[in-house]
Amino acid sequence: MKFYKLHIVLVLLVALGCDVLEQSPQTSIDETTAIRDQKSAEAALNGLYDQLQSGNYYGDNIQIISDVSSDISQSIGTWDFYREMDTYVTVPGNLEVRNLWGQIYSAVNHANNLIADVPGIEATQAVKDQILGEAYFIRALAYFDLSRTFAGIPGVTGTMGVPIVTEPSRGITDASFPTRPSIQASYDQVLADLQLAEGLLTGLPSKNRASEASVKALYSRVYLYLGNDALAEQYATEVIDNYGLTLEQNYASIFVDENSSGSIFELAYNTTDGNGIRNWYFPSAEGGRGDIALHQPFALDVIGRADDERGDLIALDPNIAGAYYPTKFGKSGGDDNIPILRLSEMFLNRAEARANAATTPAERLAALDDLNEVRNRADLADTAGVGVDTNDEILAAIAHERSIEFMMEGHRFYDLVRTGKALTILVGLERLNGPNETLTNAGRQIFPIPSREIDANINLDSSSQNEAYR
Amino acid sequence: MKNRYKLNEAILSHRKGSGLARPICFLAILMSFFIVSSTTAQTTITGKVTIEADGSPLVGANILEKGTTNGTNADVDGNYEIRVSGPGATLIFSYIGFTPQEIVVQDQSVINVTLEENTTELEGFVVVGYGLQSKKTVTGSIATVDASEMQNIPTAGTDQLLQGRAAGVQVSSDSGTPGGGVFVKIRGASSISGGSDPLYIVDGVPIETGSFGLGLGGATTSAIADLDPSDIENIQILKDASATSIYGARAANGVVIITTKRGSNSKPTVRFSSYYGVDRAINEPDLVTGPEYEMLRNEAAANNGQAQIYADPSSATDTDWASTVFRNGSVRNYDMDISGGNDIVRYAVSGSNFKQEGVLNPETFERNSGRINLDVDVSDKVKFGTSTTFSNSKRNRARNNDNITGVLGGVYFLPSNLPVYQPDGSYTKFSIFENPVAAANEIDFNMDVNRFIGNVFGEYVFKPGLNFKSSWSIDYTQVKEDQYDNTFTNNGSAVNGRATSYAAINSSWISENTLSYVFNVGENNFNTLVGTSIQETTFESTRADGEQFPSNDFTRITDAAVQTSSSSGTSNGIASFFGRVQYDYAGKYLASFSVRRDGSSKFGDENQWGTFPAASVGWVISEEEFFDVETVSNLKLKASYGLTGNQSGIGNFQAKGLWSGASYTDSPGTTPLQLGNPNLKWETTKQLDIGFELGLLDERLQITYDYYHKKTEDLLLAVPVPESTGYSELVQNFGELENKGMELAISADVIQKQDLNWNIQFNISGNRNKILKLAAPFNVYNRDIYRYEEGMPMYSFYFHEQTGVDPATGAPIFTDVDGNGTFDPNVDRKIVGDANPDFFGGIRSNLNYKNFDFSMFFQYSYGNEQLNWNRFFQEHGGTRNTNFLSTQLDRWQNPGDVTMVPKLTAANYAGNLRPSRFVEDGSYLRLKTLNIGYNIPQSFISKLGTGVSSVRVYMTGQNLLTFTNYTGTDPETTATASTSLTRGIEFYTVPQSKSIVGGINISF
Repeated sequence: MKFYKLHIVLVLLVALGCDVLEQSPQTSIDETTAIRDQKSAEAALNGLYDQLQSGNYYGDNIQIISDVSSDISQSIGTWDFYREMDTYVTVPGNLEVRNLWGQIYSAVNHANNLIADVPGIEATQAVKDQILGEAYFIRALAYFDLSRTFAGIPGVTGTMGVPIVTEPSRGITDASFPTRPSIQASYDQVLADLQLAEGLLTGLPSKNRASEASVKALYSRVYLYLGNDALAEQYATEVIDNYGLTLEQNYASIFVDENSSGSIFELAYNTTDGNGIRNWYFPSAEGGRGDIALHQPFALDVIGRADDERGDLIALDPNIAGAYYPTKFGKSGGDDNIPILRLSEMFLNRAEARANAATTPAERLAALDDLNEVRNRADLADTAGVGVDTNDEILAAIAHERSIEFMMEGHRFYDLVRTGKALTILVGLERLNGPNETLTNAGRQIFPIPSREIDANINLDSSSQNEAYR
Repeated sequence: MKNRYKLNEAILSHRKGSGLARPICFLAILMSFFIVSSTTAQTTITGKVTIEADGSPLVGANILEKGTTNGTNADVDGNYEIRVSGPGATLIFSYIGFTPQEIVVQDQSVINVTLEENTTELEGFVVVGYGLQSKKTVTGSIATVDASEMQNIPTAGTDQLLQGRAAGVQVSSDSGTPGGGVFVKIRGASSISGGSDPLYIVDGVPIETGSFGLGLGGATTSAIADLDPSDIENIQILKDASATSIYGARAANGVVIITTKRGSNSKPTVRFSSYYGVDRAINEPDLVTGPEYEMLRNEAAANNGQAQIYADPSSATDTDWASTVFRNGSVRNYDMDISGGNDIVRYAVSGSNFKQEGVLNPETFERNSGRINLDVDVSDKVKFGTSTTFSNSKRNRARNNDNITGVLGGVYFLPSNLPVYQPDGSYTKFSIFENPVAAANEIDFNMDVNRFIGNVFGEYVFKPGLNFKSSWSIDYTQVKEDQYDNTFTNNGSAVNGRATSYAAINSSWISENTLSYVFNVGENNFNTLVGTSIQETTFESTRADGEQFPSNDFTRITDAAVQTSSSSGTSNGIASFFGRVQYDYAGKYLASFSVRRDGSSKFGDENQWGTFPAASVGWVISEEEFFDVETVSNLKLKASYGLTGNQSGIGNFQAKGLWSGASYTDSPGTTPLQLGNPNLKWETTKQLDIGFELGLLDERLQITYDYYHKKTEDLLLAVPVPESTGYSELVQNFGELENKGMELAISADVIQKQDLNWNIQFNISGNRNKILKLAAPFNVYNRDIYRYEEGMPMYSFYFHEQTGVDPATGAPIFTDVDGNGTFDPNVDRKIVGDANPDFFGGIRSNLNYKNFDFSMFFQYSYGNEQLNWNRFFQEHGGTRNTNFLSTQLDRWQNPGDVTMVPKLTAANYAGNLRPSRFVEDGSYLRLKTLNIGYNIPQSFISKLGTGVSSVRVYMTGQNLLTFTNYTGTDPETTATASTSLTRGIEFYTVPQSKSIVGGINISF
């Protein structure tokens, strides 16, 4: 009898034992059910913006990489990954390079999930179009950022593109090890996604989300990179004319008040979901990390333009002589919105496209008109007459205006590279904690493919690395 | 009479020993077979078993008819009755702690027996998984640490106390933070990204050992510090597969079995002990003075062709930042316990208070703990017992170790030419670094841990030798942490004060049932066991953050203007079946076989269950008739082979492809979290062990030697995948790792005299760790300073090999690894060393002379590289505006200078250089403890007439001397303990303390 009872106990114990093997995650869901209806698809779309928000991407990293590699900012702190960029000795193991690469591809994979799954969910076509349109736009933006950072600019620098992945990753298969296509194929992917997004989105319902306006604005920028002045101008004009946008007259208000009248697409942040860009620039006295400062000549140039209200957004670290920092993004909770596309860029894009193509004084004036729209907004007088007569002079004035207008917004290095000016302008840059630096190696106008990626991808080898980093 | 039956007899009844034996239920048809086949008896024998010393009845004594399974136990009066097969039968009378007797039945019907107490016999047993085993018949590799060696030492954690005391067990403290994490590896690290910590079993309960609480850079806390070392009776460390595989899927890293003190059948004994002492860091950071700082900065500027930064370095402010926060700490302990019992109930109850004020302001650890162990014999057949511990640990923490914005970060980074305070009385601020005084005084950081480990067991003795045991246990940990950074700190000033409040509960329940059956057939002795085990662990946490406080008077989040909060939870479960047969023939030929089958919720449906068998054999040559060497008292050869598993170190749901929450401003969202791998399964370690035990001169000289070879397959490895997939890694069973080595332990009773005893113990271990297979090499930690590569050991340092500094120019000379004629920082990196010691161990000397006792314990590690990563940041050659270590003063200055520290130029200290000069020899020899004690003579105590039975007073010194060439503060520490992938790196790590305490032990 005892043993009979014992066996019952045993059976109970075994039953109990099997039970403990059935555990479910409490804070996550299975990937197969992540996008299954309208609600979950919309949640996944929100998550896609969260990918852009990451500190490894638009949260601060891409802006710092561009500015610190240019004549705008310098690395004065302990974070030597930015110092490597600042002094043009970036190695393929550079952590921030890898962070940017990985985060952009994370956004790409996220978009791929939406693009693959949303057509199959139960929802109206309008809902699906909106979600898919935003996903295509973000994928276009992601491939654009990958291409200009790691592949180069067609005709200026770089020959190899970035690996193109358009299917969601649900496991490791042969398709998980893509090769590098041509640089043209990379930009073709950007244009293809923009085209799909253009057909799916309408209007400008929210400045914090991708819209038809942001598609066209990005089109304008991409065509400028590709040297297609006509389309760059055409798309800039469409944005300027069609969405009720006006330049915010108070420059500081763009950043302080957010979602201003000239905003096309800006990432929204709040205090519980903040970004780190302020922390990198602001000195310790202001509760920041103080790792990045403006190059002194740049800061003095902006401050020295007495009427330029943009100079008001530069301050001096009281504790470190010569350490100027921008105060554009100054909210202590890190809740500044991050602008990605603004109307002033459309004017400057169109000015540049027009100046590039100008053959008559009238066409040059049209370019100057657009430039002056932006200057006037900054309380500056028109640029006209002496010193801005030739196309090159006008282009130089536009480039100068762009550097000031988009300080800390991550445009400068890419602008210098795409216009072929990097090797002539990035010369003898004064630095606070070391000798002057010069970009001498043309191959360093693009960044290295992270060494980890080449290690992990069996279809990449040292010949897949950008030439300057082999 | 030979003692070869000790094992069986001891386990036949564990009345006194039930605290040691922790068997449980069972299953087994095998068992019922033996039960059914029990013999029929014909003659009835009665009698009484008494204790020789005082003639009192020996309750529960075992009476067994030799060669059969027929047996009984003495009742509360010591009386017994047994039916035997007839004249000629042999009865064996035994009890744990007593010398057994065999009596041949003639024609008498009454046999009265007195058993003699034999204290050495108790020591002849070792605790093994789910039971006890005679040391003589053990075939596994098991190290025993006598807890009395570890008591009265001013250290919080039992894991720290194991350092140097057992061969094959490598222990190092992550830092000098009291109650901080401890690195324990048994026979090397047998996993790369899975955990390599051993399984800890306290009184049969597998306990949680992780670091609970909020992450602080690399700082960790030790859950073992929740246990009071003075509660511990002994510790067994199971090392080879035959000893560990009964714990199956969690045994690959070895098992540490901790047994706490239990009551005995005696009158109440009260013991009180206390010590108090002071401690100080063994070393403090050696930084330049203010004038030296300015001089070096100027020199760098001049070398870079820039203007002088400081006009007059000689008049610079000079602040010794280290002295602002390092302090004389203190350590104290009070312990009280009472134990005793009678035939029915035995008890051991204790309480203690331990407090250590760390050497670095404000780190403090305090533990209050209590324990109740009870054993109740309801009848000869039914027994109950409990082992219960409650403890409360309070920590005052600081953000040190791998954290540049903590107290030590400030000490190292803030230039020595800055004053602590500004003229207006405010703290001097500098970049992102906290002023160390502010970091120590203006940040509240309290961690409060309540821990309950409880175990209740019931036991039913069907007949002598056949026991069913059911055990229910819980390990419950409640953690609460509160942080507040006020506005005097960088962290707090940006947001008008910043607070975090965190509460977490980790709860684990375990049900184990075993059926054990001990019997012999002639000279064939069997000890068999079957059992089941079920465990479920849940973890829940809640966290709230607040910013924007009205003033520093408000520190609770309810007063903050900006508040955020979150909660989270996770769980896992394990179900297991296991069985074991231990066999010996006449104590000469030994064999054992065990198998465990484990299922885990962590793994994919494809591979949820794993089977882990092990077998061993042994030959006690000294028991052979032909072996007749007078001086050799024991010679045993043994070998074992088996499989064990590991599932730690991976997420609870690593097998699944998952999405998690990710909001965009105020809109809820989701985002991909991880790639799934439904084929995920256990890591399997195959271990071969060959060894011998040699006892000479009546065991006065004992030598134990083991050779082992461990190969871990199917490593749970986060294999890097192309990030173009959107993921950076996939946890796969990929890769192989090897650990092989030798262990030698020697114990010698050099002098054994009435008034003078001298014992020396020595152990040395060497382990060679090698990665056999990886998907692809990978680098870890920032700046890729560790590399994992086939053919190399774990914890390998990956640097630019610096061979010197050009005496002509002062430029560093680096090895051109690819031999293309130029040194290129992009490609010319190599592995320059690793953090694994070639040899490590300890030497202990115990001397007793009359009432004095004197002991000395050295612990050593040889051949391990230690990365002084502080030097990377504080030997910056003027490329930063932060402080310098004094090693910077050795820089090249003039042609002909021979040094490893280059000329101060930006190029020589470029941001992309990782010079190997920071990888230093971390070998050390340390006087771990030095102790002198005096037992007040009995003649004096008895005059007191206060009921005091013994008094001992002592002085103990800890870490008094360290011999090393390492230039940092402590060659033992690891700053990055929060990841298992890195080891041997000092990076703003709190050095250990040296302490001197005086104490007293009183028994009543």
